[in-house]
Amino acid sequence: MASTYVKSVTGLLAAGALLMAATGASAEERVKIEWWYAISGKLGETVQQLISDFNKSQDKYELVGTYKGNYEETMAAMVAAYRVNQQPAILQSAERGFMTMLNSGAVIPVDQLMAKQGYNVDWNDFIKPVAGFYIVNGKPAALPFNSSTPILWYNADAFQAAGFDAPSDTWQGLEKQLYALKEKKITDCPMALPGDFQWSLIENYSAINNYPFGTKANGYAGLDTEFVYNKTGVVGQVARLKKWVDDGVLKIAGQGVAPISLYTSGTCATIINSTASHSAVEADAKFKWSAAVIPHEEGVQPKNGTIGGASLWAIKGKPEEVQAGVAAFFNYVAQPDVQEWWSKATGYVPVTNAAYEKMKAEGYFKDHPTREIPIEQLSRGEPTENSRGFRFGNHNQSTAILIEEIQAVWTGKKTPQEALDNSVKRGNEILRQYEKLHAGK
Amino acid sequence: MPASDAIDMDVGAASRPRFRLRRSLGSLVRPSEAGLKASHFRRPWLAAGLVAPQLLILLFFFFIPTWKALSLAFVQVDPFGGTMIFVGLDNFTSLFSSPEYRDSAVLTLWFTVVQCFVTLFIAGLLAFATDQVMRGRAIYKGVILLPYAIAPAISGVLWAFLFNPTVGPLAQMLHDLGYAWDPNRRPFDALLLVSVAAIWKHICYDYIFLVAAFLAVPASVIEAAAIDGARPVRRFLTVTLPMAAPTIFFLIVMNFVYGLFETFGIIDTITHGGPAGSTNTLVYKVYQDGFRQLDLGSSAAQSVVLMAIAVLFTILQFRAVERKVNYQV
Repeated sequence: MASTYVKSVTGLLAAGALLMAATGASAEERVKIEWWYAISGKLGETVQQLISDFNKSQDKYELVGTYKGNYEETMAAMVAAYRVNQQPAILQSAERGFMTMLNSGAVIPVDQLMAKQGYNVDWNDFIKPVAGFYIVNGKPAALPFNSSTPILWYNADAFQAAGFDAPSDTWQGLEKQLYALKEKKITDCPMALPGDFQWSLIENYSAINNYPFGTKANGYAGLDTEFVYNKTGVVGQVARLKKWVDDGVLKIAGQGVAPISLYTSGTCATIINSTASHSAVEADAKFKWSAAVIPHEEGVQPKNGTIGGASLWAIKGKPEEVQAGVAAFFNYVAQPDVQEWWSKATGYVPVTNAAYEKMKAEGYFKDHPTREIPIEQLSRGEPTENSRGFRFGNHNQSTAILIEEIQAVWTGKKTPQEALDNSVKRGNEILRQYEKLHAGK
Repeated sequence: MPASDAIDMDVGAASRPRFRLRRSLGSLVRPSEAGLKASHFRRPWLAAGLVAPQLLILLFFFFIPTWKALSLAFVQVDPFGGTMIFVGLDNFTSLFSSPEYRDSAVLTLWFTVVQCFVTLFIAGLLAFATDQVMRGRAIYKGVILLPYAIAPAISGVLWAFLFNPTVGPLAQMLHDLGYAWDPNRRPFDALLLVSVAAIWKHICYDYIFLVAAFLAVPASVIEAAAIDGARPVRRFLTVTLPMAAPTIFFLIVMNFVYGLFETFGIIDTITHGGPAGSTNTLVYKVYQDGFRQLDLGSSAAQSVVLMAIAVLFTILQFRAVERKVNYQV
């Protein structure tokens, strides 16, 4: 009895030693790099795959990724951790938190980090809409990672049954089609309202139709920017959406159900949602699905849409060897091969021209035409001050207010004009507060 | 305990004169023993050591957070703590002049009062019925106590799903009955859903206390009333209920505390405070503004206001407990 026990223990030890020899350096010798990320579901699985691929690709660093909730929750966790010096080395932060991160004093500019660690990254190779957002005064602030843009997903079977080949490229045309879908009883839910509708149906609408969202080139030209979207076509857009909601053409998913699942399950015929929905749609949709660019107003020459998604920030206060590991991972992420794999697996836009050209040369977009739609949409027309993107301080806060006010339109408590006036007024208070705190930055 | 050990060791190692000095010092600080209880600590260090763990818990979980909230309530601060500007009472004045905050306060009051009395009424009804149930009383009690075992977040998700206007089966039933149920667009529906979920979750708490209080009423009193010809309902209203009054008062306070502070999980999972802030109670607003939107100054000011309310309820609760202790049958 005792001898068997001894034998099995020695056997285990031997196996352990073999395993350690096989993997080269043991886990303890590797420098641990902490990364907090904010995407879940299938996208989260792909992140874990990326991490394990990186860890296998070298033996000096061990990247540990932790899902910290959605973008706001991850940011809140970061803020709390930073105040007690428990921050991760890398943070994934959404474009809405860009100004907050940029002026936080808690980040290392990514070009400085890479140059110091001896990596040569071609910052000019990032595709134009991505570079236009993340490059501040000629220098990148963070590493563009998962960039997306909202596109119009539609159920091709339903459209065909109603006698349409594809969705119209104007809102007026799309409205007729959606009402036809309902009247012909093809579906009870022609369109689902996405959870981040303020991004896809308001901000992108404003950019594509070339309306100013705020003064000072949407915040690019100074912290003294003010919101002006209560004086543009956005008011008409909110009124249109309200009409659709009232007529049962646009359905609000509400709590307990992910809006995209209303589309993938076939309940709703269309949704304007992130291109990153590709992974969910490809896996779950059991009908003939397709996608198109977001419509524009009749008689308007459409501009590029704005990017969403997130970037990776290098956080201050970590030892030299950890920073070296962060740079090594950033360098790994920026490789065209990794970019290509990541884009294909998730549906995010390839962020470098090299990766895009590579995918194009392979004929990937011929086999997957919907994958090129976001790129087409992001590069429509010559970018203007209105379409380049948004740089508003505490944009999370003014976004929450905008959503709350538009909800008051859904409930009938306020007219679109009243709601947007109030939203602009409250949003401007936040901008002034931000300006006061960050004067001179 | 560790403190007193340290003293003993010190005494053993120290020379005589120092010990004497300590004793004379001790007699100076030591209060007169007249008027103390028969069993009290003669060595103050031992007493201090024994209460230390409790004091430490209070320090870390009460005094330090309170200090943090107070210090943040008077500043505007960058989330990362890089820049901080003292703004005096600005956070409070902008709070009290904000129509959104006033709406939230009115909503919280309405929600708490309705939740409190409806919960108490239903729990009272069930507790009264418990006495009348002859067979399967254990099952009856078990079923009523079940919701208490479910985490608020889980029950919230279930309620949200069951009543989701697009896919929820119970919402479908309401639609079939001709009610245009939609908590995403109708604030009343959202509030109703949150209230029902909160009440459902809390009935069992009130029920346990009420059953115990009704059982504590001496059988002799009830039998006397029965002999005088009072029927069960009358006996309940005129004998049992008044004798359970202290418990009821205690439960009213507890229900208020529950409605004000502990319905967070339910609101977060069912409505996120929406639509348009129609279920955004004061506690949920602190979280929204502080942790979602990172407006720490305003959030801290709001939590100071809530702290004042909590102190008020703590005093009320102590009063209630006191009355209960002094109540003699």
